[in-house]
Amino acid sequence: MGKYGYGSKILRVDLTHRRFRIENLDLAWIKDVIGGRPANTKRLAEELDPNCDPLGPDNLLIFGVGPLTGSLLPASAYCTVTAKSPLTGILGDSAAGGQFGAEMKLTGFDQITITGQADKLLYLMITNDAVEFVECPTLAGQNIVRTTAAIRTEQKDHAVQVAAIGPAGENQVLFATIVSSGNRVHGRTGMGAVMGSKNLKALAVRGRQPLLVADTLAFLDEVTKIEQKILQHNEYQKRYHMGTTMLMQDLNGIGILPTNHFQKGACEYLDEISGETLAKKYKVKNKACFNCNLHCSRYYITDTHQAEGPEFETLCSFTSRLGNRDLPFALEMNAYLNQMGLDSISTAEVIGWIIECQEKGLISPTDLDGLQIGWGQTGKIRVAVEMLANRRGVGDRLADGATKLSQSFGPEAQTLVMQVKGLDIICGDPRGIKAYGLTYAIASRGADHLRAEPYFELTERRQEAKKRFGTEKAAQRMEEEGKAALVTYSEKISLLCDALTMCKNIGLCMDILNFESTAALLQAGTGVKYSPEYLQEITHRAVKRDHELNKKFGMKNEQDTLPERFLKEPLTQGPTKGSTVNIKKMVDEYYQLHQW
Amino acid sequence: MEKCTGCRRCETACAFYHTGKISNRQARIKVLNLYETGIDGPNVCQQCQQRYCMNCPVDALTLGSNGQIIVSPTVCILCGACEKACPIGAIELFDGFVYVCDLCGGDPRCVKACTENAITYQPDITEKISLADIKNQAGKMNPSQKRHFYLNQLGVELRKKWSKHHG
Repeated sequence: MGKYGYGSKILRVDLTHRRFRIENLDLAWIKDVIGGRPANTKRLAEELDPNCDPLGPDNLLIFGVGPLTGSLLPASAYCTVTAKSPLTGILGDSAAGGQFGAEMKLTGFDQITITGQADKLLYLMITNDAVEFVECPTLAGQNIVRTTAAIRTEQKDHAVQVAAIGPAGENQVLFATIVSSGNRVHGRTGMGAVMGSKNLKALAVRGRQPLLVADTLAFLDEVTKIEQKILQHNEYQKRYHMGTTMLMQDLNGIGILPTNHFQKGACEYLDEISGETLAKKYKVKNKACFNCNLHCSRYYITDTHQAEGPEFETLCSFTSRLGNRDLPFALEMNAYLNQMGLDSISTAEVIGWIIECQEKGLISPTDLDGLQIGWGQTGKIRVAVEMLANRRGVGDRLADGATKLSQSFGPEAQTLVMQVKGLDIICGDPRGIKAYGLTYAIASRGADHLRAEPYFELTERRQEAKKRFGTEKAAQRMEEEGKAALVTYSEKISLLCDALTMCKNIGLCMDILNFESTAALLQAGTGVKYSPEYLQEITHRAVKRDHELNKKFGMKNEQDTLPERFLKEPLTQGPTKGSTVNIKKMVDEYYQLHQW
Repeated sequence: MEKCTGCRRCETACAFYHTGKISNRQARIKVLNLYETGIDGPNVCQQCQQRYCMNCPVDALTLGSNGQIIVSPTVCILCGACEKACPIGAIELFDGFVYVCDLCGGDPRCVKACTENAITYQPDITEKISLADIKNQAGKMNPSQKRHFYLNQLGVELRKKWSKHHG
């Protein structure tokens, strides 16, 4: 074991003393977590003092890849960043695709752990056997692409990959991001703030270590099967054309597109902001992550801005969620947020929450230094976001996120924050997608869909649902029956995606990965025996590990719930009209399945 | 380049075919992703008119029947003259070996790996491109810098087209 798949080294960086140490990866240690997110979580659970200040030197920032990262397996070059979250105080992590993970893999480091705090702003130049601590005063306040270009120029190598923070990360906005490959965002839970607190502007990687697979022919065989499954998938054309922005039309059609901060589930101006319109009017070409054959991302140009993206979450966050019908404004915000290093979902939640509270008279402009915003007021939104990114004026309070900001207001305003465990809810109204609702409630990093991504409930594949989960209702979005079973299945596949560092749009939404294919891939790739049953067992354990770690961070079971709005207040119009979520029942069932 | 999405499947396939490993550093076709302009593109030997690299002090380089450069590892002394001479960084020394496109014996794996048809192999084209202009400008850059410079040059026209698309 060890010759195949893994780079077999761990890099330990201590920023306070500007020291590094290279360890051998303990292959027995990693066997039951494989790599990527579950391996990072295990490391965090073992080595972090749960009471540490997330923005202090003791927080442990971990970059992790897996045994098949950057291999021939398509869409499998994600890198996961893990630490204690400054936004939520619990487990924080966020993954991103692009090129960084593949290049990190070639350095031979399966994990990079970073502790301490540098006395001056610096970046790390990481190669196979060395780390250079490079002071970079001129990069202070610089955006992502300029930082990336400057590091490449300084290193005289334009294949160097960079994961950097923008000004928001330096300012320790609690939901600041880390951005790699120019526009690939480790968005959620404020990993950029952790990096900012360590005075670390960027990680630059350049590797040279080849990756060997144990059984080349068997591996190629599995890879080919997966490539074909992707190419022949019935959503291929749609996803190729629009990527995740296709969901604008899909979710609006079934009445769950968050509009005016979840007060409505559809907007009448969808045609102005849809994925179709974006593709037709502004997209100039497709973009792709390392070795992917779906190419679902895009580059766009407007009169004033150009960038890669946006994904659905950002597009919806800055259109219907804020009552905005101006698509170029949303595209401007995508470019701005990615370059400043801000999470689009959490940013939009602060703004949307303020707008709703002001509409309802719960917050007056004087409460916020004169800040007053209404639905779709793009100019005012722009100003508020700029203040937030720079922690200027009232922006300093907005930069702590909607949940913390709400604590200086009354209980009614507090319940209007669309969050679970302090993490702001994504764009998808759970009243019309019940398995997603359950996922938001139980997800170990707070309200989030990617821990399980139960896209299956939108597919109406009723026969398959009966076979897999014992009831046809698991494939019907409005039903609650069978959803706990669907989520416990999907959260395991989600873990496998994160361990293989595969994109979940492909692995999960397109239903490409399962226990059998993962076992075959891992066995061919690493030479270690993995059976589907063993994968079931270790993913089950991994979910429990998350749960127990969060308890150490002070989480209580009763926090596995949803904001009151989704439990009590039905939507009044559209195909999801009249529905609320019986979250307690689904969570209880989920707990039973886990025997917690 | 208009079609290239920057996925680097060509690179991965090239390295894998030649080495049996996943080792993009050893690819003979190299993709650059220029995040500041949105340009992505592969860089590979263009079989230029000038054949700058052939000016080898020990004559280790010969031309193959498909016009490809063949490096004799036994004659080559790894002096780096070819790497210095190539204006676009398409021939490079790495770990004691000279890497340059060999067209996979007339059946290039990069072309097969590209699902976007961004790479084509056109053996019938007789008109060779000239890299004289680039050579004058590339100066003393290293191969990575030369690839960067060349791709930026090529990207200018495409970016003009994109602006027009948007009107």
